[in-house]
Amino acid sequence: MATTQFDHIFHSLAPDVGKFRVAPSGMAWKGSDSEAVVAMASTDIKWAQWLRVARNFQLRVGMRDHRKEKFDGFMREDHDKLASLLKNHFGITLETREVSFKGWNWGVTDFQGSDLAFMVQDKVAFELPLRHVANSNIAGRTEVSLEFTPLGKGSKALGDEMMEIRFHVPGTQKSKATGSDA
Amino acid sequence: GTGVREGKTWKKFQSYKGEAALPQDVDRLRIHVDRKAQTVILPIHGFAVPLHVNTIKNVSKNDEGDFTYLRINFQTPGQMSGKKDDTPFEDPDATFIRSVSYRSPDSHRFDNISRQITELKKEANKREQQKKEMAD
Repeated sequence: MATTQFDHIFHSLAPDVGKFRVAPSGMAWKGSDSEAVVAMASTDIKWAQWLRVARNFQLRVGMRDHRKEKFDGFMREDHDKLASLLKNHFGITLETREVSFKGWNWGVTDFQGSDLAFMVQDKVAFELPLRHVANSNIAGRTEVSLEFTPLGKGSKALGDEMMEIRFHVPGTQKSKATGSDA
Repeated sequence: GTGVREGKTWKKFQSYKGEAALPQDVDRLRIHVDRKAQTVILPIHGFAVPLHVNTIKNVSKNDEGDFTYLRINFQTPGQMSGKKDDTPFEDPDATFIRSVSYRSPDSHRFDNISRQITELKKEANKREQQKKEMAD
């Protein structure tokens, strides 16, 4: 009876819902309608993070081979149960990653592995997976645009698709407006 | 209300104090307008990203083939927006989101979202104007 199951969990950004199971031997997600399975053996699991995303909370698992797996749909109340399972079975601590909800459109961009993170006061506001960038452009001296490949296959379940984001990047140019460079 | 006419200062604002205040509807990964919080919440690669009305400049929409495209433009430093640029910024040297574009097959819904955002902006401008008049 060593297996614990969490229902209504999503793998990555896919629309399919599934079950997430934790046992001493490892963790696995299985799609409810599809035959898709994502398995992580206990010996491959290196770290785990907990953060608030759109579909409630995300469990992010780091693997020995640098693979990262993301599972959305956990509830706030699942945190303590999950944290103790990870501690007891794999000896790892579930770290909480702080997310910004300030509503600001300014911050700092930071490359974190294969993601570009937008940070607001040291908290992450969102991440852009660079492998989904179809095209990038530098328009003018201070503008960078990133275009994305649509993830959906025409399915409405994925919600609204972001096609492009543009950043205003002051770059190395010294600001004349503030005159506060020291 | 005197002494602030020259060199306008940036006034602090924020959408939410914490994650618990996010509307439940964000789990649908669709653009959500939260009038009470004066905020538009954007789905960005699985994150629910609130953007306060004060950061929003305007919104535009156009239909192309089977899709409707919605583009939200944000306030950034150094934009010559017709009238004199008097928007103060907390940190003009930061990186800013300048615009975000979405597409949807549901043109009716994007119509609606576009109208809601424009309305939100209008209300905010009106409040700002009233404050100014009170200060005079």
